[in-house]
Amino acid sequence: MELEWAGVPSIAIVHEEMRGSAQAVARVSGCPDYEFLTVDYPWVPIAIWSKEECLDLAEIMAPKVLAALTGPS
Amino acid sequence: MTTAAQHAYDSYEALVEDYFEKGWTDGLPIMPPTPEKVAAFLERAGLSGGEVLGTVPTREVTCTAQQAAANAVMAGCLPEYFPTVVAAVRAHLQPKGNCHSTTGTLSGAAQAVIINGPVRNELGVASGAGCFGPGFRANATIGRALRLVIRNVCRGIPGFLDRASYSTPARYSFCFGENEEASDWAPLHVQRGLAPEQSAVTVHSLMKMVEATDFTSRDAVGVCDTLVTNIRANGIAGDAWLGEDGNVVIVVGHEHHRFFNEEGWSKADIQQYLWPRLNAPATSATDRMARIGKPEGILIVAAGGAGMGASWLLLPHLALAITEPVS
Repeated sequence: MELEWAGVPSIAIVHEEMRGSAQAVARVSGCPDYEFLTVDYPWVPIAIWSKEECLDLAEIMAPKVLAALTGPS
Repeated sequence: MTTAAQHAYDSYEALVEDYFEKGWTDGLPIMPPTPEKVAAFLERAGLSGGEVLGTVPTREVTCTAQQAAANAVMAGCLPEYFPTVVAAVRAHLQPKGNCHSTTGTLSGAAQAVIINGPVRNELGVASGAGCFGPGFRANATIGRALRLVIRNVCRGIPGFLDRASYSTPARYSFCFGENEEASDWAPLHVQRGLAPEQSAVTVHSLMKMVEATDFTSRDAVGVCDTLVTNIRANGIAGDAWLGEDGNVVIVVGHEHHRFFNEEGWSKADIQQYLWPRLNAPATSATDRMARIGKPEGILIVAAGGAGMGASWLLLPHLALAITEPVS
């Protein structure tokens, strides 16, 4: 959100288990409708992932990030 | 005017200050144990005040239901919590719950109160995120009630019969539920012979609690090996008086539990995997034997919230984990 406020197009990625925390931060930051992308299992919430897991996740998330940044706001 | 235990005070604050002065609290304020409240607690549990819940022979202590009720009121319990407090007191005061040693020891052992069965949800006992910590009245006050009984009835007072070198924050209160809904695992009380619909309390005296973190394993064997490494780093000496029935409690966290679920491991599977590895001979000062007499002595409990790749090891003091039904 701070990057957005600084004029940098951004999208946050959070783990599904942390959705509630992310929504709480958005709410207290005055942006209750702030949108973010989520990652779910089998990627564990704390990002100690192997290189292969990182690459697999990047394959999945990159198009979503691109769509979020270039799609209708 | 506030009346409690045959004393009258001009105000609540005066009562609390007098209780501090008399040494009847754990250092935190208490609720006044008025005769009306104590009676309501006893009625809720269906007990007469003189009912004996247990004894500590070495201290010439007999704990009655009235004494337990007074301390449960003081801890901040609601009346409906009291049958669970009674079960916890009965469990701890069983001979092999070993109140005398576990509350007097230099090591500062603490008592974990683990709640199973329908009463968990009826009372709002936390078993998920944050369940070891503050924020949940049932957890906080049920655990505190047992500790106040230990202090005010069983004479476990620091500098007197409590000889802990450091003691531990877990001695204020340590109570949580098993997350029975996390999987189809048999709940702890069912593994110990009670019916699923029977509510129960297990009291486990622990020398220390150790977090077994593992963020990198992605399967059940990997998590189990981490548990073994962490338990063996501490070792469990065993004890002739306790015999083959000794326990260790492993609180399996959400992130580790997932791997057991995915691979269909039951609690019994985990016990069978861990037991020979824990009992293998020591190979170094940091890889010590953990003497547990039987696989079923390894008590597996599901609890905790998502996120941390961690489970907790509640390593025993000189006592058995005792399970009592909540009546």
